[in-house]
Amino acid sequence: MRKLVQVLVLGVAAAVAALGLAACGGGDDGGGGSEGGTAKVVIGTAPDYLDPQEEYTTQGAEADWISYTPLVTYKHENAPAGNDVIPGLATDLPQISQDGLTYTLTLRKGLVFSDGTPIKASDAACTFERMIKVNWGGKSFFTDNVEGATEFDEDKSDDISGVTTDDNTGQITIKLVKPYGAFTNVLAFPEMGLVPCGTPEHTLTTDLPPSSGPYMITDIVPNKSYSVVKNPKWAGLNVPGIPVGHLDRIDVTIESNTQTAAQQVLNNQADNFDAGDTVPPSLVSQVRSQASDRFEPVTIPSTFYFFMNVNEPPFDNELARQAVNTAIDRPALQRLASGFLEPECFFIPEGLAGHPDGECPYGPADGHGDIEKAKQMVEQSGTAGQPVTVWGEQRSPRTEYVEYYTDLLNKIGYKATPKIISDTTYFPTIGNAKTQPLQTGFADWIQDFPNPVDFYLLLTTSSIQPVNNENFGNVSDPMIDSTVAKLEPTPTPDLDSVADQWQALDEYVAEKAYVTVYGSEQVPKFFSDRIDFDSAVVHPTYLNDWSTWQLK
Amino acid sequence: MAVDRTAPSPGKPAALEPGFALGDSAIQGEAGVGPYKLALRRLRRNKTALAFGAMFVVIVIMCLCAPLWANHVAHTTPSANHITDEITVRGKTKDVVSPEGIPTGPTWTGKFFLGADANGRDVAVRLLYGGRNSLEIGFIATFISCFFATVIALVAGYYRGVVDGVLSRTMDLIWAYPVILLGIALGTALAVGGLDFGLFTISGASLWIPAIIIGVVYVPYMAKPLRGQVLSLREKEFVEASRSQGAGNLRIMFREILPNIASSIIVFIPLMVANAILLEAALSFLGAGVQAPNPSWGTMIGDGIRLIPSAMHLTLIPGGMLVLAVLGINVFGDGVRDALDPRAEVRIEH
Amino acid sequence: MARFLVRRLLAMILVLFAISILTFLIFETIPNGDPTVRLGGRNSTPETREAIRKDWGFDKPIYEQYGITMKKIFTGTVVSYTQQINVVDEIKRDLPATLSLAIGAGIIWLGFGILFGVISAMKAGKFTDTSLTVLSLIGVSTPVFLLGALALWAFAYKLTIFPAGGYVPLTQDPWGWLTHLIMPWTVLSVLFIGFYSRVLRSNILDTINEDYVRTARAKGLSERRILIHHVLRNSLIPVVSLFGLDFAAVIGGGAILTETVFNLQGVGQYAADSIQQLDVPPVLVITMFGAFFVVVLSAVVDIIYAVLDPRIRLSG
Repeated sequence: MRKLVQVLVLGVAAAVAALGLAACGGGDDGGGGSEGGTAKVVIGTAPDYLDPQEEYTTQGAEADWISYTPLVTYKHENAPAGNDVIPGLATDLPQISQDGLTYTLTLRKGLVFSDGTPIKASDAACTFERMIKVNWGGKSFFTDNVEGATEFDEDKSDDISGVTTDDNTGQITIKLVKPYGAFTNVLAFPEMGLVPCGTPEHTLTTDLPPSSGPYMITDIVPNKSYSVVKNPKWAGLNVPGIPVGHLDRIDVTIESNTQTAAQQVLNNQADNFDAGDTVPPSLVSQVRSQASDRFEPVTIPSTFYFFMNVNEPPFDNELARQAVNTAIDRPALQRLASGFLEPECFFIPEGLAGHPDGECPYGPADGHGDIEKAKQMVEQSGTAGQPVTVWGEQRSPRTEYVEYYTDLLNKIGYKATPKIISDTTYFPTIGNAKTQPLQTGFADWIQDFPNPVDFYLLLTTSSIQPVNNENFGNVSDPMIDSTVAKLEPTPTPDLDSVADQWQALDEYVAEKAYVTVYGSEQVPKFFSDRIDFDSAVVHPTYLNDWSTWQLK
Repeated sequence: MAVDRTAPSPGKPAALEPGFALGDSAIQGEAGVGPYKLALRRLRRNKTALAFGAMFVVIVIMCLCAPLWANHVAHTTPSANHITDEITVRGKTKDVVSPEGIPTGPTWTGKFFLGADANGRDVAVRLLYGGRNSLEIGFIATFISCFFATVIALVAGYYRGVVDGVLSRTMDLIWAYPVILLGIALGTALAVGGLDFGLFTISGASLWIPAIIIGVVYVPYMAKPLRGQVLSLREKEFVEASRSQGAGNLRIMFREILPNIASSIIVFIPLMVANAILLEAALSFLGAGVQAPNPSWGTMIGDGIRLIPSAMHLTLIPGGMLVLAVLGINVFGDGVRDALDPRAEVRIEH
Repeated sequence: MARFLVRRLLAMILVLFAISILTFLIFETIPNGDPTVRLGGRNSTPETREAIRKDWGFDKPIYEQYGITMKKIFTGTVVSYTQQINVVDEIKRDLPATLSLAIGAGIIWLGFGILFGVISAMKAGKFTDTSLTVLSLIGVSTPVFLLGALALWAFAYKLTIFPAGGYVPLTQDPWGWLTHLIMPWTVLSVLFIGFYSRVLRSNILDTINEDYVRTARAKGLSERRILIHHVLRNSLIPVVSLFGLDFAAVIGGGAILTETVFNLQGVGQYAADSIQQLDVPPVLVITMFGAFFVVVLSAVVDIIYAVLDPRIRLSG
């Protein structure tokens, strides 16, 4: 009898222990991290703006994306899932008419801003109007496509005729002037994050509108610091797909000396080194060895290339352009980037549908280039000895890229000189048709949204303009124009069905050597040991997703 | 202005004393020897000044020999990139630039004697060519400053009145603008567009741009004290004497007054060269001086500061060279000042 | 006295006016410096740019633009091109760092400059003098940003004694304020100590040979009394005037290099950043502010001069 009791007691004890372990092990709020707490972020470059309709940099987006939610938004996940659009403040993804010209959405019921005011359908219309009135840098994505938007922009009408809203039903209807397959992505821009009607239509610097997301931005000292704190009203709204956030508060300090910033994170005095900054080359090996469990380079869909003007000698000559592509040593550029560059030769970056996975036409992407062969090609083309001006930006490593490229051009037979100008004036300068000479130089493009049309607007004839040109090489090829026109109306979720056509186009562009692509950028995912590294998301477009952070 | 001033203003060397230029050697105690010969003799006795002056000359010669080093020892040019090259040093092969972007330090052999920079360029070659540029800018800027300061001082001090008013106020204006800010503003503005004089243009990448900017910025530094001297000199008897003999204004300015301020000008020259080299370094460090691809000590230091913890040589080498050059010319300039000031002798005995 | 003040005031206004025009003109010549395109952003449409041009008045002739900007400056409403932040507010935020740097360094460099200058003069020609002279010359020959970068590396990275740059307000954390400023103070002072000690040395040596000093010695006054009451008092006059101008220049943005290397976010750094970004409004305000300080302090210095030296007072 005693033995039985002993066995029974042991058995029960074991069962209890097993249950206890099971309870502790699984079934938690995912990841096993804790709730609440504060984190400290050091950012090297201040956000251009914190105003939700104005900002156009990743630094600004990081704060605004989680504070102002658009009608649709992106999954809060790493690539590739992070490229998928999900409903934001709308109940569902937009219903698109058969001809691709009408988009219908319905606002979720019961939503409120952080100050308690209800969110209405007309707030969406006000947000679009504000975005146009404050002259957001990307507003052409909207004004080029939505009916009546250009007239509104030119002050010819009081509102956008193509946008109608009904506050009673919560319905929002948008009419386009042409079918634009990426329009859902346009609606997902953080700059379309809803703000209340009546928000002043000029840039706000310290007094931002009430928030419509999991966090809100407070305590702004321009160029020095700001914070985001939890929006108390958000959790109760139960918006699916958008995290409510774990941390209570995130304090951001601008520390322009990236050496100091990296050191602070390495020593756990700060929690995050912003992904928009570059880890100073001298600290990279130290960081890699000392912080191997909390540091990782993440490739983002971006294309770094040298543009070549096809309207000016020597690059009006296709053989000359091919020579450059033959000579280029992409690993050299990778070293100049302290290793934070993935060598690539195709214009559509990896991670995007349509990225060719075949061989590069003029030598492997990770090869060191063939200078001798390139020299012969230059000789053959008859352009040898011509003077070439190479434009570049001042900041590192971009100025180093251009110095390498200039030397390369000299090695293959040209008389190249660099022209390095301040970052602020760079794109306005090379985008101005009056700039002479405009032969070649640095360019880059980081995806606005995961659709190849975003990249191909840099290569179409219709995008060439005398001021603020983005097609720096003045590439004008009917094959490109017609293919893009054909593929443009394909809605983003259906991209896979046309991926092979994009791929074929991209391979064609690489063969014609219209540009010299050398790589995609990698950003640092770098945390202190307080933050749970694995659950922190680096979004392919908006980089650090603060709403996914939690303390260990 | 203040922050980048190097050596002290020359004070007022007694070489100002009227009659000095007339060789009143009775005061000096030696019959029939001109004042400049005396100064030279004093200078020759100042071993420290001579030593440092020689150091400066050695640096200049080294920099002039840049092409020799580049072609026969290092076998490369100042802008040739060797990023993915490998070199063999004492049997071991290593990357010129590591995959993480860290360049190699000094190899003490022909190639990459003093190491490589982030773009895989030979530091020793760039140091010498950069030195040529820095020194060239220093000398051209000094020439510009001296020339304009002298002319302005003479004209303003002699004619006085409205002419003086306008010139002095212009000097005040340039001087009130903090030197560095003016340098950066002009440097940034002109680097992009260059200077267009109608007849000829200077490209934004030319070395003439920083030279002209530095030259112009330092004109008031020299012009103001010189003008003061001219003002007092013009009241002296020998000027009146000359005028009563029928001499015209120009003749008086250049034959009578100029020789008397000559020693001040001579004292200023080494100071200005030192100032110019330092200002060029500061402007290049901030990106408003010498433009790529031209190397200069300032741009090399600016580039090197980014990599200080892992590639000290990129900062220490051009920095050290710069300090030695400026020190050399400062000590020598001090010696020149002492030599031209006869009371120095009295001082030492005291 | 009153006439003196009035004349100085007029001169100051003229200088400020001229400086603002000069700055404006410098930036006008920059090609593609047109802020319209920058303000519009990368994808701006022609409509956007037209709107910006009208809003900011860039379509008006240059003298009108100048007038508009100056009016904005004097009503305190001028905003920068880059982030449309109120420039005057930003300067107010940056001023404590610059003031802390300037005042602290000023005390150090004046103190040590005078000390070394006196020692050098008293031991003129001997070993102490020569070594102090060489040290001063080294200090004066070393670019301040080089010294700063090396100091940062040695004392902030290799041996983590001091923090690696940045500024902590005195009101927030007095000890942090101090530790953050020690290196910048030292680095900035080195240059001036070298300079001032040599100026003082040469002035003292000049004064010692003056007749009235010889008379005082003949009268039987102690060497020490002579030094302090006669020699030093007269030698310090030029030093005081230099100090006034240098101090004003540092506050007005002259310490750009120190502030940039140590990332103090002071007025000088703000000016340098603005120039590089071709952001005209902050540059205008800061250069005027700096010039204002220089003129005011130089007037103050002249007054002190007049007090110290009756000969100047009498000659007016």
